[in-house]
Amino acid sequence: MEFSFSASATKILTTTGVAHLQGGDVLMILVAGVMIYLAIWKKFEPLLLLPIGFGCLLANIPMSTMASTDGGGLLNFFYQGVKHEILPPLIFLGVGALTDFGPLLANPTTLLLGAAAQVGVYITLIGAVLLGFNLHEASAIGIIGGADGPTSIFIASKLAPHLLAPIAVAAYSYMALVPLIQPPIMKFLTTEKERKIKMAQLQPISQTVKILFPVVVTLVGCLMLPGVAPLLGMLMLGNLFRESGVTARLHETSETHLINIVTILLALAVGSSMTAESFLRLETLKIILLGLLAFCFATAGGVIFGKIMCKMTGGRVNPLIGSAGVSAVPMAARVSQKVGAETDASNFLLMHAMGPNVAGVIGSAVAAGVFISLFGDTAAVMEPHAAVADIVGAAEPGADAAITKVNSAVAQVIEALRP
Amino acid sequence: METSVLAAANISAMALAVIFIVLIILIFTIKLLVKLIPYEVPPSSKTPRRQPAAVSAGGDHAAHVAVITATLARHLGKSPDKLRIVNISQP
Repeated sequence: MEFSFSASATKILTTTGVAHLQGGDVLMILVAGVMIYLAIWKKFEPLLLLPIGFGCLLANIPMSTMASTDGGGLLNFFYQGVKHEILPPLIFLGVGALTDFGPLLANPTTLLLGAAAQVGVYITLIGAVLLGFNLHEASAIGIIGGADGPTSIFIASKLAPHLLAPIAVAAYSYMALVPLIQPPIMKFLTTEKERKIKMAQLQPISQTVKILFPVVVTLVGCLMLPGVAPLLGMLMLGNLFRESGVTARLHETSETHLINIVTILLALAVGSSMTAESFLRLETLKIILLGLLAFCFATAGGVIFGKIMCKMTGGRVNPLIGSAGVSAVPMAARVSQKVGAETDASNFLLMHAMGPNVAGVIGSAVAAGVFISLFGDTAAVMEPHAAVADIVGAAEPGADAAITKVNSAVAQVIEALRP
Repeated sequence: METSVLAAANISAMALAVIFIVLIILIFTIKLLVKLIPYEVPPSSKTPRRQPAAVSAGGDHAAHVAVITATLARHLGKSPDKLRIVNISQP
């Protein structure tokens, strides 16, 4: 085989990324640059925006085979963890290991604030339908209002995988902007007198209750909405590692190394789905707009319900803690503390706001469970093996026959034992 | 479009109702658990604690202890008599 200089040079030139670079790729590389800039220099959710931005950069280099759709590419393998709903529940495992549900247990009625903040999800769902999205897509967009990245990714990958990239980016971007988005809404909806309300000290909780809580939540939540079991189950398992006191190594791994590794894989996978074809569309702008709407209404829903609770308890609940019901742990709780302290420097709302804040995590997971119950693929649930057959391969042909033989043998033994 | 919006509104109302029902069940379950298993103050160590020298030294330390006790008592809503500062360490 002979190579002339000109033929070799032409071959090399035609296989460079530059030769295949298109306008859309350049624009997406710029978007990746903006995300990296925001992460490093503006400190906007750097743990997520940095790997997402870099994943986006890699995915948009032509011929690199680093897009989530490039079969056999490195990031395509990472993306399988999103596609098959493995990575978001593992993030929840780490979140559970990091979360102290004590403030919620000390004041369980704050769970209602976590529920009220889900109003944003449903107002956005209606808004998305008005903008032309179908119900599956609208549900995936609406869940941005839950202010919970893993839940948004989980639902998007299940109900609208083609919208995963803009939904994930909108969710994480607005979570980073919680300190800017929430305070004006909180101040607009509350009076100075309400913001000055000092709440009673939280009562200590028995360690046994803390241990039983994750088991009870798993049973109640998953029995009512089985679709939410991967998220809620992992969240509660992580918390059980933390509270049981007998799994120190598992707890430590979950809250540090595991969550860090999974964050890298998840963020790179999301970034790799940000190709020009999937991102540079009118739908992306609509999703970004709807995401903002979702956060605003979720905050307003929480604060308004906080005001209702304030009235019903004779002024013992500061409505500012309602805004923490949007999840976004612990940033939303810090915002409640900051806005409260601006009105009265001696008012400490942080621990009170942590109750609705962690309730928001449960609330958004339950909201996700409702969507899965309504729009999830029930056939796949009924035949779980069929859903994973393409990954693990079909059962050995002789296995079914062997199982049938064992079953008939057992039936014969039972028959023989009968009097 | 109108049908879709109506369907979305119906879904929203029903989903919010389900969320509230699930979380209200959780509230009552938690309240029941807290009632059945109340918090118990962990038993204090049987061996008598030595009073740290720094606290018993009097003077400025005694004033610090008084101020910290009063602040803690106010913050925790407890009587100062129920609090005991055993050690103050400075960085």
